Amino acid sequence: MLVDIIYWATQRKWLLIALLFGAVLYLLPTPHGLTSNGYHTLIIVLITILLIIYEPIPLPAVAMLILIFQVLFGIATPNEVAASFMSDAVFFIMGSLMLAVAIVSQGLDTRLALGIINITGHKTWRIVAGFVTVCAVLSSFIGEHTVTAMMMPVGLTLVRHTSSDPKKIARLTALILFSIAYGSAMGSIGTPSGGGRNVIIMGYLSQFGMGSLSYLQWMKYAYPVLLVEIPLAVMLLWWTFRPEKTILDSAVRKLKVQVAKSGNITGRQLVSIGVFVLVFLGWVFLSPTIGLGIIALFGVVLYLAFGLVEWQDLNRNTNWGVIMLFGAAISLGLQMKDTGAALWVATKVIETLKIVTGDLDIIRSFVSIFLTAGLTNFLSSAATVAVLGPIVLNMGGDAVIITLATALASAFGYMTVVASPTCMIIHSSGLVKPSDYFRGGWKMTLMSIAVLFLFIHLFWPLLG
Amino acid sequence: MMNFLLAVSSEEYSSPTLRMGSQIAKSFDATLNVVYVGPKPKELFAGRVSLARDSLAKWEIYHPGIEVLRWAFHDLQASGYLENSGENGFDPLNMVEEKDRYRLVLPGSYGQEIDLVLREGEIIDELRKECGEEDYTLSIIGGSKGRNMAHDLLQYLPTSVLVMKNVDIDKSYKLLLCVDDSSATKRAVRFGGTIAKQMEMAVTLLTVSKHDKFGEGYTAAAKSASRYLDTLNVPYEQNFLTGDPVTTFIETAGEDHLIVMGASSRSPLTKFFLGSKPMKTLEKANCPILIVRGE
Repeated sequence: MLVDIIYWATQRKWLLIALLFGAVLYLLPTPHGLTSNGYHTLIIVLITILLIIYEPIPLPAVAMLILIFQVLFGIATPNEVAASFMSDAVFFIMGSLMLAVAIVSQGLDTRLALGIINITGHKTWRIVAGFVTVCAVLSSFIGEHTVTAMMMPVGLTLVRHTSSDPKKIARLTALILFSIAYGSAMGSIGTPSGGGRNVIIMGYLSQFGMGSLSYLQWMKYAYPVLLVEIPLAVMLLWWTFRPEKTILDSAVRKLKVQVAKSGNITGRQLVSIGVFVLVFLGWVFLSPTIGLGIIALFGVVLYLAFGLVEWQDLNRNTNWGVIMLFGAAISLGLQMKDTGAALWVATKVIETLKIVTGDLDIIRSFVSIFLTAGLTNFLSSAATVAVLGPIVLNMGGDAVIITLATALASAFGYMTVVASPTCMIIHSSGLVKPSDYFRGGWKMTLMSIAVLFLFIHLFWPLLG
Repeated sequence: MMNFLLAVSSEEYSSPTLRMGSQIAKSFDATLNVVYVGPKPKELFAGRVSLARDSLAKWEIYHPGIEVLRWAFHDLQASGYLENSGENGFDPLNMVEEKDRYRLVLPGSYGQEIDLVLREGEIIDELRKECGEEDYTLSIIGGSKGRNMAHDLLQYLPTSVLVMKNVDIDKSYKLLLCVDDSSATKRAVRFGGTIAKQMEMAVTLLTVSKHDKFGEGYTAAAKSASRYLDTLNVPYEQNFLTGDPVTTFIETAGEDHLIVMGASSRSPLTKFFLGSKPMKTLEKANCPILIVRGE
């Protein structure tokens, strides 16, 4: 019994630390310039960050704790909390997780494999370039995790056909897997539907009344960044993981034979592509009026109605805890704005950084790019945007530019396993080590930040 | 029949653990459950990782843990622990989900009782859950784990623990049976005696006192241990040494002994703050070590 209590305390130590930390802060006087509600909101934010990073309790419990604290601290009434819990961004996250299941289950990965190999041939560098490009372009529309889930089998089959001894092709394996992960993560900046975090910050932008961005406007700003990043990423990956084999002719041949067994494209696969094209057109033309989330959900309904996916499969592979967590995190983000907590933190950050430079543009860029990219590596991309979004949007300057800079920088979490779903997915193969992420990740991060910085200051002003 | 749990993490690190662990299980004619414990994806991404795994399985690319279990199964056949029934019993499609673990159903018979289990999560936590699932007598685990491993294993696992530190399967090990007046010593002697007899190991019975004088409890325990080994017809050498027990155990054991000792009877809270003799020995030993819990 005593052992069980000691064990529980050691396993839940981050819950205890987070609550103790929160209690100590609660007892301290409210900082100058901050309302009591704003202070309490910030305490909840800090507790949430610790609980998301260390996961001492399940994520749905964290989500519920956020809602409970908001009511207990008197920040909002139960009905206000409930109303702020659901938004179009949460609908989008829910829809995009379900669309991923629907798309991945269609067996389109064999088509992709054949398409890539037919274009690239058997030279390793061309295959890597093909993987990065295809992953980036596809993930910009259908989301990074969907693409990684479809491309992983293709990449790993190539690796497996190259050698049966993983030790002999460790660098080639890392190169292929990181081409998929980084390509997909990078691609998620291209359009709003590339990642839930894009929609979260777009939601903040419009809910705070600071402006709006359409699907095509986003693409106009972000897609050129992606197109510049693709060749640079290929070079960096090649430079980091110089593969043991520069030609994969036999592996490519075997892959072609394996893929050929799946036959021609089926009617079912054509319908599933058609449904996604409809969803995409909806995002482009209808999202300003009916929202990205509603269109994603409409896509899910179409997949279900056409019998392309079973509800049981959607239910099994949809993590409802994540949906609840983002519902709660966005609700907290709105409270940060309403209570003035976001403005207070933004002002403090600007005041502090003014010691280093008086240039407000540099300070805003630093926070929205460097801080976002850094925090993403620990807190994950979407959670970083949910927490930092309200703060960066309160720093002044062009809200649209800040929105884009933050969303794009949140994709630059290349250095850790926990930075993004794609990083975690390739790690689950057991074939890449956490140290590999840093080897390639720091170069990718610096390159991406440099490209984004140049775009913000040179190219985007020309777009008006 | 006793149930032994043997934890594996990869072919590279777990090979000696599997070989020596299975020999010890055979000594007791115990059921061996080989349990793979691997990293668990962060909950935030777990759904998406599971989606990717489903997609990989369609290409016959399985969870890395399944590949480790496949290796373990074939290695146990190669070492002669399992009989080769002639059929390919290992089929990843026979993996069944059971509460918080996956178990591979092995059709056919292999001469020994065996179960292959896959778990994801932090090692101690998963082993504890596994112990809640079945009634295990002994947990066998590889060495060179994390910093607090010795403490956590002895504090939180309800079973006896065998840690395969610095194991070389080609080496001929002797058995160092540490005897004192702790209540678990009696059972440790029974365990040690059985292993020594079945694996034909030379035994050293060692009793260490901090002072020149050996207490009555110590001498009685030493006498009872020697009597037990006599009944088993296991040859042994008996030593009484003076000094710090932990240092003496480790120096005597060197790298070519399997240390066997009883678990501490201190309270969990005392062990948490002050540790214990077995804990410190386990932490510092350079050879395999078996800590036996009292009944």
